[in-house]
Amino acid sequence: MKVTAVIINLLYFLALAPFLEGVMRKVTARIQSRQGPPLYQPYLDLLKLLGKENLNAAGHPVFRLAPLLAFASVLSAVALLPLAGQSSFLAHSSDLMTLIYFLTLSGFFILIGALASGNPFAGVGASREMMTIIMLEPVLAMTLILGVVRAGSLNLLAATGGVSSARGLSYFLMMAVYLVALQAFVSRQPFDIPEAEVEILEGPYIEYSGPNYALFRYTLNLKRMFYSWLFVAGFLGFWLPGSPVLNLAIQTVLILVLFVLISVVGATHPRFRMDQALKFYAVLVLLSLVAVGLGVRGW
Amino acid sequence: MWLWNKIKQLAISFRAGMVTLHYPFEPRPAPEGFRGQPVWDHTKCIGCAGCASHCPARTIFLRDICQELRILLYDSSRCTYCGRCADLCPEKAITMSDKFELATDNRQDITQSLELFMMTCQRCGRCYDLEIKNYIDRLSSLGYRYDSLEARKVIRRSTADFSPEELEKTVTYERPGRLEK
Amino acid sequence: MSRKEELVRWLEKELDGNFISAEATIPGRLFIDLKREALSAAATGLMNRGARYQVGVGYDARKSGQGFGLVHTFAFDKDSLLVALRTFAPEDDPEFDSLTPLIPGAGWSEREYQDLLGLRFRNHPNPRRLVLSDDWPEGIYPLRREVPHDLMPPAAEEVAFRLEEAPPGTSIVPLGPFHASLHEPAHFSVYVDGEDIKGCEYRGFMTHRGIEKLAQTELTYNDVPFVAERICGICGSVHSVNYAQAVEAAAGLRIPRRAEFIRMVALELERLHSHLLWLGVAGHLIGFDTVFMQAWRIREKIMWLAERLTGNRKTYGMVIIGGVRRDINQDRSEDIRAVLKEVEREMLALEKAILKDRTIHKRTRGVGYLSREEAVKWNLIGPVARARGVDMDARRDHPYAAYDEVQFEVPLADSGDVWGTLVVRVKEVYEAIKIINQCLDKLEKLPKNEPLSVDLEGPIPAGRQGLSLVEAPRGEAVHYVLTGEENRPERWRVRAPTYPNLQAVPSMLLNNKLADFPIIVGSIDPCISCTDRVLVVERRSGKARLLSGQELENLSRGKRSKK
Repeated sequence: MKVTAVIINLLYFLALAPFLEGVMRKVTARIQSRQGPPLYQPYLDLLKLLGKENLNAAGHPVFRLAPLLAFASVLSAVALLPLAGQSSFLAHSSDLMTLIYFLTLSGFFILIGALASGNPFAGVGASREMMTIIMLEPVLAMTLILGVVRAGSLNLLAATGGVSSARGLSYFLMMAVYLVALQAFVSRQPFDIPEAEVEILEGPYIEYSGPNYALFRYTLNLKRMFYSWLFVAGFLGFWLPGSPVLNLAIQTVLILVLFVLISVVGATHPRFRMDQALKFYAVLVLLSLVAVGLGVRGW
Repeated sequence: MWLWNKIKQLAISFRAGMVTLHYPFEPRPAPEGFRGQPVWDHTKCIGCAGCASHCPARTIFLRDICQELRILLYDSSRCTYCGRCADLCPEKAITMSDKFELATDNRQDITQSLELFMMTCQRCGRCYDLEIKNYIDRLSSLGYRYDSLEARKVIRRSTADFSPEELEKTVTYERPGRLEK
Repeated sequence: MSRKEELVRWLEKELDGNFISAEATIPGRLFIDLKREALSAAATGLMNRGARYQVGVGYDARKSGQGFGLVHTFAFDKDSLLVALRTFAPEDDPEFDSLTPLIPGAGWSEREYQDLLGLRFRNHPNPRRLVLSDDWPEGIYPLRREVPHDLMPPAAEEVAFRLEEAPPGTSIVPLGPFHASLHEPAHFSVYVDGEDIKGCEYRGFMTHRGIEKLAQTELTYNDVPFVAERICGICGSVHSVNYAQAVEAAAGLRIPRRAEFIRMVALELERLHSHLLWLGVAGHLIGFDTVFMQAWRIREKIMWLAERLTGNRKTYGMVIIGGVRRDINQDRSEDIRAVLKEVEREMLALEKAILKDRTIHKRTRGVGYLSREEAVKWNLIGPVARARGVDMDARRDHPYAAYDEVQFEVPLADSGDVWGTLVVRVKEVYEAIKIINQCLDKLEKLPKNEPLSVDLEGPIPAGRQGLSLVEAPRGEAVHYVLTGEENRPERWRVRAPTYPNLQAVPSMLLNNKLADFPIIVGSIDPCISCTDRVLVVERRSGKARLLSGQELENLSRGKRSKK
């Protein structure tokens, strides 16, 4: 029975993640006075890519393995999540640290893949990605640590619930920080710097094509969905009903709303330069530390 | 300030609504006077070769294959749709249609060819049109034709003997690629 | 005493026996023939008198027994005067003094004729191959008379170039020949230290189509406007009008006033859509796709208007020698006014929304800075120069068509960066709308049945020179025509506005971030297909080199080039 919960976790994420990209594209298109592709377009894109020849442009086994490993790590992270307010089957053998490990691991494999491709653009993209990870992972960690501080447990369910348990100053500060950081987590303007299309041509993914690229795309979709799920489950968790089915439905709607918001912000901003973004991130990290500090004081 | 700006930007977008079409399912007709694919009306064409000798892209070819038959071949693949041929045609046999969706994998789809029956000059053996004879002169004044026509390679003048190879060459005319020694 | 008389008198005195003749065909033009010994002295004198160098034109004059001709043109913007210095060199000794040490902007032109005509330039600081591709065999000079226009000689072998190492502490990021931010093939090899640009090599000329040669060997006077229109994907009318003006000047043809105004409408419509296109592309280059789409949505109204007026969205096909092909009648004039009113309204809204956007300031202010002095030194033109406070506009300084009869402002900015070019271009949109409206007023007052074009009385005599300027959206375009026999030009030279502007790009790039590369290159609105030139500038050593196809491939697969 509990294994089924893990499978539901995976299925929920796998099925919905590309759809959210479709929503993003549709909303962006509307803001740009275009019709935009149909909502199911990302599924078609993935299918198309999966049907293509699997080219190993770099001739390096790491290049080939990186997408698989990145995809696997993000799936592992997803499997741990206490979806719908229910503790995962894997909860007894995992905690918050495991989740952060898996997430960082998937980012790490993207970097490895980019560096293995040997392309100078991928190199620039990887260095940007690396800086983004270094600057932004703390924000994610701090958010969860705030929950840990509140709940006094590293258990994922407790931690995500803990984030919103006391809606004091720290809660609102952290929520604001997370919302801004979310734009970078999902790599939309103004923070889509690592894969800036006109500058470094999708950066880390430039040499990838076919099924390898499809896996990366899927990985990114899953990650983006995860980050917005975390916002909904963490900051808005108190508002979700107890019934798992209803809970999941409301979560889905909230995630959709969040994606619409992300798309609107993304469509109305130019891309920042890395140096400008880093200053921004530094402020975010500082603020998140302050929020945790406030959380410790119980504010 | 920042937020107000973004709202203004969104307002521009939403006031304009959705402007893209569901093309190609929803066609956009070309306006009047559009310069699309030129169409030859064989009933009006007198075979004066005005279009062939003024085409800036040199994509209209003419050849007499015997003393009574003149072939006009329009190869659309290089056409720039400038409409010069339609301007100059003395009989208005060429119209610029509103067709512009001309992408094809078969060159023949967009090639037009006319077979024109001509009279033959008893003195020089070349084709001519019996009725009116000053069209070429009229064309000259429209297009400043003070150049030597004989120097033009692509407009084939009439030949006494018909050779199928020559015709074939015209149809599959391609740019010479080597230095002529 | 006018500037023209003063120049002629001075040249006669200064050059003594080396001065051959001076000819003033139409007001504002002065064609001077010199002996080649005096070229350098005459050019120095002109530059000292405040001239601006434009372009060099080399041609094959062996048929008339004069060997090879070389024309350098100069502009006196304050006096509305263009001066062309022509010299000849015998066939067996085609060597001229190089003007490049004196005028850096002449370097490209001279190297071009070194490649295309086999001329030699004494004391040229950088006499390397420029225009021809790497594998073009030695000793075949395409612009020479005996070489057919469609020659495809077997490729020379073993012509690979040594790649220069990146300066210490930097690595190469190859941007191009195909890159999302360059919409045409051009290759920038950018040396970066982390994200900072420390130098740049440029190589272009990958889309050389030999249009000039084609016009000189195959086409006739009246065919060329339609081919000239296809020089550029955006400013086609600029080139066809410019060419027609040069031929008309050479032939002494005065076109009907109605045709002049119609040409102006076409030119300004082109400026409108070109600037809106640029605004959109600039938005795209800084990752702001909504500006891109909205600017292009507004632009689309102009494209559809052009389609109704001329029969095509972009290649208007309006110009023939002696006039235009289609009229703008009352109905069409009202149509234009209505569309322009709407465009102006939309543009004002867009301007308000984006010019005050702090996030856009962040990406454009202080980016790609170049001082006014450097802009003058590099001979920058058009909005790129006006953004640096250089007050110049061919429409005002060298009026053609009927630009002297309309009122308009020349917008200037002094920020010297990408932001300045953005502001200048946005303001020019309103000026263009103003000019079109004035043209329509004038057109409505002109007699309705005036002919749209005039015919020539007879063949255009050979050997006449015509020089014409048109202020394209990107800056001034120069066309030089030397009339020839058989109803076609003996020489037709096109200098597109990007040609001088592109030279300054490596300077603009220096010490900026790699992320700003697209918008800096984009800020000059490069039109590679117009420019069609190869240039390699290495900022640190000033050395030039070319790349082979294999090396380009290696570059794009960085891994293999390391082997």
